[in-house]
Amino acid sequence: MTNAAWSVVEVASRSLHPDEREAVLGDLNERDESAWQGLLDVLGLVLRRQVTLWKSWQPWLTAFGVTVPCSFLLMGASLSICQSWLWFIDGRTLRSADLAAAWVLPILACHAALLLGWSWTAGFVVGSTSPRTLWVSAVLCCSPCMFCLARFQVPSLSRFCLLLFLLPATWGVRRGLRISRLRLSWAIALASATTLMIAFIGSSGTQRWWTPAAWILNATLTWPAWYLVLASTRLRKKTCGDSTEDGGSTT
Amino acid sequence: MAESVNSLLLTSLCRAQHLDIDFRREYNHNVVLMMGEFEYLLITAADNLAENAYGAAIRPQIEATTGHKCSIGALYTTIDRLEKKGLLTTWMGDATPQRGGRAKRMVRVTAKGVREAKGFYEAVTGVSRGASWVANRTRGVS
Repeated sequence: MTNAAWSVVEVASRSLHPDEREAVLGDLNERDESAWQGLLDVLGLVLRRQVTLWKSWQPWLTAFGVTVPCSFLLMGASLSICQSWLWFIDGRTLRSADLAAAWVLPILACHAALLLGWSWTAGFVVGSTSPRTLWVSAVLCCSPCMFCLARFQVPSLSRFCLLLFLLPATWGVRRGLRISRLRLSWAIALASATTLMIAFIGSSGTQRWWTPAAWILNATLTWPAWYLVLASTRLRKKTCGDSTEDGGSTT
Repeated sequence: MAESVNSLLLTSLCRAQHLDIDFRREYNHNVVLMMGEFEYLLITAADNLAENAYGAAIRPQIEATTGHKCSIGALYTTIDRLEKKGLLTTWMGDATPQRGGRAKRMVRVTAKGVREAKGFYEAVTGVSRGASWVANRTRGVS
């Protein structure tokens, strides 16, 4: 194989498990196959692995339960925060929402913290639940972003305000890839904090929390945090079960 | 459901050939779960190769037996499936210069794998006894 062709095969094999990649590339080398045949072989294996992955529920959940809805809603939330911040600087918030001056900054900070929490948890769920189909989630996240960026027409705001959520979401994905599960105490703290902030914003009168749209928005963006609680609880139960079994077998 | 239909068909065929193999009973006791023909080919090739069984060595064996190309995708997904069923064990072997310094994924057939492959072989040879292509007859050929 030429070096260039070999590089293409290597790139194609990157989505395989490291051990499997090692064995497959070694086999191709040993049999001295043509670059084209090697590429077809590797792509065939990658395709089979992807099909196997999509037989389970995790990729579907992360792609269509988290990535697609959260991307759209988080873009809206990012835009809303940038707009509120501009209004706050202009001093218009005070007039429009009839809020006491002392409440404006905490509520704005709460909105920002919520955006951070929602984005991070959504990213963490995507990264930890189905790491090997991350590329699909990335495509599904980028498509609506590109669509909205192309049609963005708010003169007072930069179009990159739409993508504010991407930084914490990417951080969450990276964290999710490194540690597959959060500690239960952290997961509960995160989910509770998110829910409390929603309640705080709702009680301040800046959001019509009783409307169906607000309920759908809050529920869609908050459920990944509660999903993490559920996943951590299940992991803890499993770990406790395993350690009990180990204890039983040694005594 | 599919397993019970398969076992019923195999049992009926064996009875027709005067063989006493009750596949329904075997399925019910989870003693024998029939493997696929490619799984059987792979286990047999791995067993023949013994200590030298790994991907690049198994593929030519299968290709020589069947006369068809064996893709890397089919080979490695089947190895994984058989490992999950407990019929094979795999581990990463040494890297060699002829492989570009890359390690081999070594394969060994387990005792359960040997049992199941033997069961498959007996079932196929048993059920084939008396078939026109085995007895070299022309029955059924128009």
